[in-house]
Amino acid sequence: MTSARPFRLATAAAVALSLAACSGGGEAVDMGDGAGDASGSSSTQGGTLVAAIAGEPDNLDPHVTTAYFSFQVLENVYDTLVEPDVNLEMQPALAESWETSEDQLTWTFTLRDGVTWHDGSDFTADDVVYSYTRIMEEQLSPSWRFSSVESVTAVDEQTVEIAVSEPSPNLLANIGGYKGVAIVQRANVEAGDINTRPVGTGPFELTDYTPGSSITLTANPNWYGGAPAVDGVEFRFISEPTTAVAALRSGEVHWTDNVPPQQVAALAEDSDVELGQVGSNDYWYLALNQQHEPFDQVEVRQAIAYAIDREGITEATMFGNATVNQTAIPEASSWYTDYSTYDFDPDQAVSLLEQAGVDPADIPMNIMVSSDYPETVQAAQIIASQLGDIGIEAEITTLDFGAWLDEQGQGNFDMLMMGWLGNIDPDDFYYSQHHSEGANNYQGYSNPEVDELLDQGRVETDEAARKAIYDQVSTQIADDASYIYLYNPDVVQAWVPGLEGYEAMPNRAIRFREASLP
Amino acid sequence: MRYVLNRVLQSVVVLFGVTVVVFLIVQLVPGDPIRIGMGTRFDPEVYEALRRASGLDRPPLEQYLSYVGRALTGDLGVSFRSGQPVSHLIVARLPATVSLAVVGIVIALLVSFPLGILSAVRNGSVLDSVVRAASQLGVSLPNFWLGMLLILLFSSTLGWLPPSGYTPLTEDPVEWLRRVIMPGITVGVVAGSILTRYVRSSVLETLSMDHVRTARSKGLPGRIILLRHVVRNALVPVITVTGTQIAAILGGVIVVEVVFAWPGLGLLVYDAVRARDFPLLQGAVLLIAVVFLIVNLLVDLLYAKVDPRIELGGGDG
Repeated sequence: MTSARPFRLATAAAVALSLAACSGGGEAVDMGDGAGDASGSSSTQGGTLVAAIAGEPDNLDPHVTTAYFSFQVLENVYDTLVEPDVNLEMQPALAESWETSEDQLTWTFTLRDGVTWHDGSDFTADDVVYSYTRIMEEQLSPSWRFSSVESVTAVDEQTVEIAVSEPSPNLLANIGGYKGVAIVQRANVEAGDINTRPVGTGPFELTDYTPGSSITLTANPNWYGGAPAVDGVEFRFISEPTTAVAALRSGEVHWTDNVPPQQVAALAEDSDVELGQVGSNDYWYLALNQQHEPFDQVEVRQAIAYAIDREGITEATMFGNATVNQTAIPEASSWYTDYSTYDFDPDQAVSLLEQAGVDPADIPMNIMVSSDYPETVQAAQIIASQLGDIGIEAEITTLDFGAWLDEQGQGNFDMLMMGWLGNIDPDDFYYSQHHSEGANNYQGYSNPEVDELLDQGRVETDEAARKAIYDQVSTQIADDASYIYLYNPDVVQAWVPGLEGYEAMPNRAIRFREASLP
Repeated sequence: MRYVLNRVLQSVVVLFGVTVVVFLIVQLVPGDPIRIGMGTRFDPEVYEALRRASGLDRPPLEQYLSYVGRALTGDLGVSFRSGQPVSHLIVARLPATVSLAVVGIVIALLVSFPLGILSAVRNGSVLDSVVRAASQLGVSLPNFWLGMLLILLFSSTLGWLPPSGYTPLTEDPVEWLRRVIMPGITVGVVAGSILTRYVRSSVLETLSMDHVRTARSKGLPGRIILLRHVVRNALVPVITVTGTQIAAILGGVIVVEVVFAWPGLGLLVYDAVRARDFPLLQGAVLLIAVVFLIVNLLVDLLYAKVDPRIELGGGDG
């Protein structure tokens, strides 16, 4: 009897660890953050708003974490110099105003007066210098956003000067796009408390953290934007969607974003629940490896773009909770470019392949997707069948996200599917993915014309001219099928009827500063 | 005494094996945690800096030796996602898991002993058939599914119980009970079903033994025979199975804790796996293994107490 014991033990260890093999760090994707321009709520009832989020923050140091769960909480604790509004345009936050020098190489920010940290000490220009220097010198997660920044200096207590190496029209998006670039407190960092007890300047102060269970925030009556309407917010970590929705319907929680797409239609009919649904700036795409034949031929890539039925993919993967798109950014964004060349047309696909002199049966087609992003796996099955209709025999390789990233990095793929999240400024996502020098141009796209446009867009300070540049860029990228864009998923959140002053944001920022309870 | 020493020594050897296995499996799990932590946006310089900071750039053997060395002194390292000591994170989660496991085991024992004995005594009756069918169902139910059914019934539909969350017993016993009852049943039903079947077959077997027939022929009342002669003897194999079930519950709570958002060790393991937080994962699995070994050791010692023949023959066992 006893000799069997080590095996039982091994079984338990295997159970625990087999989880490791099949699930991944899917949440650890850089997400942008928020908007919110609502006028002050008149409610004075207070109370604690209970929000169910789908997982526990890994680390509450905004400069270190990359997990969305962390940013859901931190959005309410920290401030940035500027922040995106509901249209993702940058608005004053800790900085009241700013101006740029004639040569566009110096930005001067005037800070808001009378802002204090949650511990009561004064917020000054030194805090801004400290935060940005910390990100750059310690090469923390958002350091790539400061690539054009030469120096950050405090001119006086209320003035900060940022010197850049070249005109940087996207500087505001880079230093305010999400709370990863929040202004943190030096004393909090040096005490080693920032990862569990962050001290911010934001609308709520973090007052309690029960590991595995919840984080409690208390309203900051001294916040520069005015005291929040609720007394506090409790974030509960509920990873199982069925449980989260049950908790919402039973009144245990007031708000959740852990809503499975297949339940959205039913919840929309449910009078116990109010549904918030808004198009996001996230995009999901296919990329063909242009370093492999025959994907170096533009006709072959275009043929595949024509062979794919985006509506069918969206219906099956997102249950329709997404908007199909043939470029990166959705219509609601100011950077949107109207483009509809590749409407579903298998005949056109076949004739393009003939034109290229490529026999569809000879096309090697391995679609690389990740189990950590189930939508990619579902989409791949549909795409494979659609490609089968034009004679391309597709196989699907499903990898754990870590392995997927490795293969992508080494260029070992024919076609891959992935999403890019938290998009605000086109320089960020177009340059990185489509410039021949771009850090994330794994597909090996190189078009000198696009490179030149991307270089111009990076430094063009006239807004209209810049928009025109990116219109050209996005059209050319789509024409060349460097990426085959698929859709922009919806942000879906649910809350109890009567919760006022809260709005679902296109960049998934969760802002409870104006929210009031029924 | 020699038997006890032997078993303790064995446990130590197994524990050493566990550290090797845990360390190796973690090394073999695909996916570089640092790379995953960075998401889709990749910067080689940031990557190298993070890798150095986490110690993952050192050779595996060096990592292992320094890990075991520190673990011996109670230092399980630092979680590389949260930056906190692993031992603190684990200790904070223990009370929730212990209370869930205890409630689950109590429910399992309360269900299995009466039902198993009754079912054996009335072998072939309608009651016996019902118990056998129900326990078969209980054994086959995946516990996460049972948990969701309970939530849908008692929280969503009836609104009687909160679907998730944990309140410490010391803080509010009533609230603790309201919250522990559904996950406790989920954990207890599967273990209870397995135990019921063991109790039933063990009692049945004992009932047909010579000494029971002798007792019967002496004219002893049925209740006395059952308690003194049957249950005591039937208990011996059941203890071992109970020990196994306690250990199995520790593995089972991982899934149940995720379903009920129960802030215990299981949820910690789940999160550590998702985040590829190796130090945290190693620490948690190591602790589960230690508890496992201790439970099994206690079961063996108890076993020897109940049935003295085991100690006499002990040496190989």
